[in-house]
Amino acid sequence: MTCTLGEVKNRADFIVYWGGNPAECHPRHFTKYALMPKSQFLPRGRKDRTMVLVDIRETKSVKASDVFLQVRPGKDFELITVLRAMIKDQPISEAQIAETGLSVEQLQDFVARMKAARFGVFFFGMGLSMTRGKHMNSAALLTLAAEMNAFTKFVAMPMRGHGNVTGADVIMRWQTGYPFGISFNRGYPRYNPGEFSTVDVLVRGDTDCAFIIGADPGATMPKPAIEHLKRVPTIVLDPHVTHTSKMARVHITTAPAGISAPGTAYRMDEIPLPLRPALESPYPSDEEVVRRIKETILKKPDWMGERPQMLTTQV
Amino acid sequence: MDLKVIDNATCTFCGCVCDDIQLHADENRIHQAKKACVLGKAWFLNHTAERKYPDALIDGKEATLDEAIEAAAEHLYQADMPLVYGMSNTTCEAQRECVEMADHLGALLDSHTSL
Repeated sequence: MTCTLGEVKNRADFIVYWGGNPAECHPRHFTKYALMPKSQFLPRGRKDRTMVLVDIRETKSVKASDVFLQVRPGKDFELITVLRAMIKDQPISEAQIAETGLSVEQLQDFVARMKAARFGVFFFGMGLSMTRGKHMNSAALLTLAAEMNAFTKFVAMPMRGHGNVTGADVIMRWQTGYPFGISFNRGYPRYNPGEFSTVDVLVRGDTDCAFIIGADPGATMPKPAIEHLKRVPTIVLDPHVTHTSKMARVHITTAPAGISAPGTAYRMDEIPLPLRPALESPYPSDEEVVRRIKETILKKPDWMGERPQMLTTQV
Repeated sequence: MDLKVIDNATCTFCGCVCDDIQLHADENRIHQAKKACVLGKAWFLNHTAERKYPDALIDGKEATLDEAIEAAAEHLYQADMPLVYGMSNTTCEAQRECVEMADHLGALLDSHTSL
């Protein structure tokens, strides 16, 4: 259950940032969409909105918040579960509340504010989705947002980083039906994060050639994964010679997207936006290079031989 | 010095993808990114149109684009289980080409999302 940032800007009077630090990671999120804008429904802008920040430590975003709830690290799932019970007036023990690191009064106040809102939004960051519990935390928060709709309008939206990751999700969903963690090794797409997700594949040593575009795993991935990248032939497309390029067999310099390469990028609410490059680049775009590599591969015989349209036997 | 002004330019540094930036650029670099935040300014101002790096590197040695494309295609084709990964800092058009290439290769395909 989600919405666009335009709806947030015009209608949302109750904003919750959970496990994120927008003041430093998405600096214009407050002013452009979530807190400051005035609209027909929120004529006084910031004064018509309430912002609650849920995080494990005090970040710079605290200053922008009306209420700061400091949850005990790794207890987000427990806190969401307690809230789900409280909105339905189900009994909760004091021990269960104490475990979250917050007081009964704080939670009762939060629940009252959520129910009093006309349009509430949960923006959740990597502090929720990438810590203990991972996707289970995101799923729990989405459930809480869905259940809040018994009382008022509530939505949830992930705070995406890294430029066009949202675009990658959208394009893979469009082309394969799945957003990430895909394998084509049977000739049709299969989805299984944990088996086909990159870190797991690299740590297990399950790939014998890596093609890396618009990412620098050499700087971000765990050591065993990087060790495997060094073992296999790696191909890197990047505007800079990166950590990963230095361990790669092939590096191709490309024009940076949005600066000197045109195209489309998706905003975190899945709105596609055209890029307007300002500079001419001496390098080709990613699109051109990938297309040429693909065309070179297509000239070679198909690895599957005759491609079956349908599997005739169970494999 | 004449500066080219680009209105409503799009910043792809973070997920906000602000599309109201005004860029002032000459042929070589962007001098001003109005309305952009600190992160966006750094992103726009740190890129230039100069040829700072070689076109391509094969095994650490400078190579031409054509040679690198041939080498990349050969490595991917020879592999039993190639992996296509990343796709964050690039355009949807390039992502689409990546998906098609992974399909032809019978490859693994994944993005930053799974990290």
